[in-house]
Amino acid sequence: MTIAADPSNKETILVVEDDILVRMPIAHYLRDCGYKVIEAANADEATTVLLHQETRIDIVFSDIEMPGSIDGFGLAKWVRDHRPGLDVILAGTVSRAVDAAKDLCDEGPVPKPYESQVVYDRIRRLLAARNRAT
Amino acid sequence: MGTAAGPVHAAGKARDVRTILVVEDEVLVRLMVAEQLRSADFHVVEAANADEALAVLRYTTDVALIVTDIRMPGSMDGLQLAKTVRSAFPQIRIVLTSGNLLKFSSVNHDAFVPKPYEPDKIIGLIRTLLN
Repeated sequence: MTIAADPSNKETILVVEDDILVRMPIAHYLRDCGYKVIEAANADEATTVLLHQETRIDIVFSDIEMPGSIDGFGLAKWVRDHRPGLDVILAGTVSRAVDAAKDLCDEGPVPKPYESQVVYDRIRRLLAARNRAT
Repeated sequence: MGTAAGPVHAAGKARDVRTILVVEDEVLVRLMVAEQLRSADFHVVEAANADEALAVLRYTTDVALIVTDIRMPGSMDGLQLAKTVRSAFPQIRIVLTSGNLLKFSSVNHDAFVPKPYEPDKIIGLIRTLLN
């Protein structure tokens, strides 16, 4: 597997979230903030990416409750054991995930005047729309 | 962004950028394809399986084309996803991919791309289909 190196040298965030309607806007928000974002749908995908030596990861941004062999806490322990020194941000709720994304954006290379409430409202509308359909 | 009651637009998308939905269960393959398409100035949404793809399609109106693997775990494979998308969203172009040369009807897709991908070819194909 060959993945081209990112010539822009952007910091890379691995977003781990099993709900596509949360993962999608968080990932796009962080990209808009200037980061390169890699998306993983569960911890197993995340460990696959983290074991791929050619893929640079600077921060792991993970949900806590996820299906699969390990949850977010398990992933954080795995990172500590296999990639010591790599920062892990765990977000247990959508609102905490949005706040964490906002914090990252504030420190990002291309900060924009985003409000965390805007992202949170966007995710909330997506989830509300989905819940009405089920 | 739409209202709470209606469909929504994919977050972070410029108005004149075409949106590609990449459906692939192998994360490193999905990452590679998505990054190549982003480098070609497409807006890319990533789905790990058909269920995620349909969730995106139900609540965003922007997807112009789907690139989907055929063999995937979950409630449906790529062929079933293509059939569903062609029926429910006939305006969306569909590109099927696989590491195996399979025989299937051309009714539910617009093109087939064998794996491993050749970036220039798939980007050229997508541009042709969207034009």
